[in-house]
Amino acid sequence: MAIIEIEGLAKSYPAAFPRRSAILIILSLMAIIEIEGLAKSYRVYQKQEGLLASVKGLFRRAYRDVEALRGIDLRVESGEFVAFLGPNGAGKTTTLKLLSGVINPTRGTARVMGHIPWRRENAYRRRFALVMGQKNQLWWDLPAQESFRLHQQIYCIEPAQFERRRDELVDLLGVGQLLAQPVRELSLGERMKMELIAALLHSPEVLFLDEPTIGLDVVAQHKIQQFLRYYQQQRKMTVLLTSHYMKDVAALCRRVVIIAQGQMMYDGSLTGIIDRFSSHKIITLVFPGDQVPKGLSQFGDVLEEQAPKVKLRVDRQVIADSLAAILARHTIEDVSVEDPPLEEVIAEMFSLASEQAGAAVVKSPV
Amino acid sequence: MGNAQTNPYGSANLSGAAGHAILRRRGPLVIWWTILRISLEERLVYRGDFALGTLMRFLPLVTQVFLWGAIFDAVGAATGQPTVAGYHYGEMVAYYLLTQISRAFSSMPGLASGIALQIRNGEIKKFLVQPVDLVGFLLLGRIAHKLVYYVVAVGPFALVFFLCRGFFSGWPEPTILLACIASLVMSFLLGFFLEATLGMLGFWFLEVSSLLFVYMLFSFFFSGHMFPIDMLPGVWATLVRSTPLQYLAYFPAAVFLGKIQGADLVWGLSVQLGWVLFFIVASRVTFYLGVKRYSGFGG
Amino acid sequence: MHDKLQPRAGVQRVHPSYLRVFLTFARNSLVRDMTFRSNFIIECVSSLSWMAMNLGYYLLIFQFTPTIGQDSGWGKYEFFAFLATTLFVNSLVQAFFMPNAEEFSELIRTGGLDFALLKPIDTQFLVSLQKIDWSSLSNFLFAAGLLAFSLFNLTYWPTLVQIVLYPLYLACGVAILYSLMIALAATSVWLGRNQTLYEFWFYITNFSRYPMDIYQGTIGTPLRWFFTFIIPLLIVVNVPAQLMAQPLETQSWPLAIFTLFAAVGCLWGSRVIFSRAMLSYRSASS
Repeated sequence: MAIIEIEGLAKSYPAAFPRRSAILIILSLMAIIEIEGLAKSYRVYQKQEGLLASVKGLFRRAYRDVEALRGIDLRVESGEFVAFLGPNGAGKTTTLKLLSGVINPTRGTARVMGHIPWRRENAYRRRFALVMGQKNQLWWDLPAQESFRLHQQIYCIEPAQFERRRDELVDLLGVGQLLAQPVRELSLGERMKMELIAALLHSPEVLFLDEPTIGLDVVAQHKIQQFLRYYQQQRKMTVLLTSHYMKDVAALCRRVVIIAQGQMMYDGSLTGIIDRFSSHKIITLVFPGDQVPKGLSQFGDVLEEQAPKVKLRVDRQVIADSLAAILARHTIEDVSVEDPPLEEVIAEMFSLASEQAGAAVVKSPV
Repeated sequence: MGNAQTNPYGSANLSGAAGHAILRRRGPLVIWWTILRISLEERLVYRGDFALGTLMRFLPLVTQVFLWGAIFDAVGAATGQPTVAGYHYGEMVAYYLLTQISRAFSSMPGLASGIALQIRNGEIKKFLVQPVDLVGFLLLGRIAHKLVYYVVAVGPFALVFFLCRGFFSGWPEPTILLACIASLVMSFLLGFFLEATLGMLGFWFLEVSSLLFVYMLFSFFFSGHMFPIDMLPGVWATLVRSTPLQYLAYFPAAVFLGKIQGADLVWGLSVQLGWVLFFIVASRVTFYLGVKRYSGFGG
Repeated sequence: MHDKLQPRAGVQRVHPSYLRVFLTFARNSLVRDMTFRSNFIIECVSSLSWMAMNLGYYLLIFQFTPTIGQDSGWGKYEFFAFLATTLFVNSLVQAFFMPNAEEFSELIRTGGLDFALLKPIDTQFLVSLQKIDWSSLSNFLFAAGLLAFSLFNLTYWPTLVQIVLYPLYLACGVAILYSLMIALAATSVWLGRNQTLYEFWFYITNFSRYPMDIYQGTIGTPLRWFFTFIIPLLIVVNVPAQLMAQPLETQSWPLAIFTLFAAVGCLWGSRVIFSRAMLSYRSASS
């Protein structure tokens, strides 16, 4: 729609909108990340250590295919902050690695800022960054500032710009005094902050974050969340984040993509997950006196019974009927109807997904 | 170059908790058998690599064979008498092959550094609180490892010696052969107790790796591994012969080749035995003193 | 985005300055080496004493023989010049490429290569030169001294052509060894961790350490051909050493020209294998 409007404007006011700038605007309004049918399967060799075994393995190999990603489609607009959720091995990290061009896909296409990532063009590699919570790219035995200087040269950052950005980032993350300390002497949280600085020095337009807060204490987690939110809003970066911490996701992302078993299960807002996937609601009833009436289990599963309070898990579709029936039969002092906790809904969904996948495997005669 | 002699059989893996549990519960013979069996299973998993690795260890010898071939050519042309320090070409090659056997007995990869590491990270405490003798335990593990090594390495060794049989002038007399075997067994014991003693230095020095490098360097050149030490001139020969290093590689090989006979042989074997006894005592004493010092510092 | 909208002084450079990046690698490595100074000194002393011992061994050999090989021209001082050449080549390889090749297969195994692939710079350059082991260059100085000493004792003085070509052929030797090493390391992508491959490397390069004329006879000649034309290890040291320590002869030109082609060919081959390996790289999950 935006494109049509601008085209219209350009047509009506050709002088104010030279054609080229209109095209530029159109381009910048197109999705910054476009993924279609992206799939990756690994051939896992039953590898053995050692030369002889390896040489033997060259001629006769036992292997099986593992589908890490079974074809996903996704469009991300410029300036979005998207979270990838999913159990371990769901394909989140694989997606980020594909988008950063570290690995090649088996099928499908992806374009990030118009580039095909796995071509590994310098022009592309200068415009994005990847931060992985589990791996570090800074020199272990050197102060972080030395690694930063190396980045300056590799990414061809002009000295003045380099210094301005470095000072700004260091200031925002409050790690000024740590710049001259060898990285190995830093705490995990401090190291992560340095990794973030290193990744942002060249001012990437797209940032991939793979579990940036893993293993950090609450204070460091919070600090990094704050920083990411502020910096993303200020710079209008496009960010893709994977995390196991719901707090990261809740604090940062409006849009959530759920991947399980290599497939996309959901794409929408965080609260939308509950509406879509939660089959139940929780009814909490408080009865007068110390007595809890019998026969409540006909309305739903009794989760907790602590007289005079009872928690019931009730099917979403019959929630109104059940509530009416309970109110008609019993005297009630207090009642509340809640959604189950988000973590629970997601966990439920994940186990459902893996069950389905398990069933699929059983069905197909492989 | 120097580190080409890498570890063909790991350090004493059996010093772990499982080994101790075994030691506490059962009689000595059962222990011995259990340790041996575990080692065998552990090693035989990688027997293919192991055999290939053993074969590769002979590769530098190929270069030596050609190098000496060229040297003997030149010596023969210059003097008309192709011998170097009393060795003719075939003997020289046979010597290098035989030192490989000596080293198979006397080399103890990872022993000294393993002990020093256990001291540094405090694992040594186990041996102070439990009624287990550290040196004896390590010796047992090492014997097991060596036996496993021979089981696997005998194939590659036999192959190489068969291919190179032309360099040998036949089997020596039975007595010489017996003396050679005795000397090989003692070279194993000497190598073990010498390195164990070196490892005990970890009680006094935190970082022993540079010290061990110096030992490795000297042992590489002066054990006879690199060249027959009777090539050394005058005072150097006397110096090198007065160290125990020659018994690690040179001596058993020279005995086999009949270079040392009669009274010299008896004397040589006695001196070797003397060195073995010396280092048995030395390893005990250094361990005793080290533990005393260690407990004094409170660990 | 922010910066993109700002006017730029000049056109954005497409390629980083490889020289400056390399100098930063060198500087960073030096900073690291200096933080572990005592370790650095121990490394220098160890490798120097190792060399001294080796030199002693060859001195001993020359107590018994005038030359290595009959009429080969490799007398004591010629051979020491040969030894110096071996040292030059090996110390350069050990200083610049060995630590990186070792780390390369480790990076493949652990998935740490991801970061190298992200950088807007040639990946092979980055992976091959990141770390420099300065202590290995102590042997380079030792070699310079040894070469000067040998040349001083030789009965003839090398011509200007020889002196100019010597560094070129040293570079060829280093290029050949580097190519073999990085190709070997790159195979970790397919073969997994290969400790044995490294031992293999040490044993195989052992062949290059003596004059190639010693490989004679029914086994020696095929061996010499194999390690000259199939895996060109023998020319790594022999060609530059011969150039410097022996009088210039027309019959040695074919091999010298072959060496140039071999060096270029090996570099190209290593490039091909490296790129193939990168296509098959799977990035181990942490």
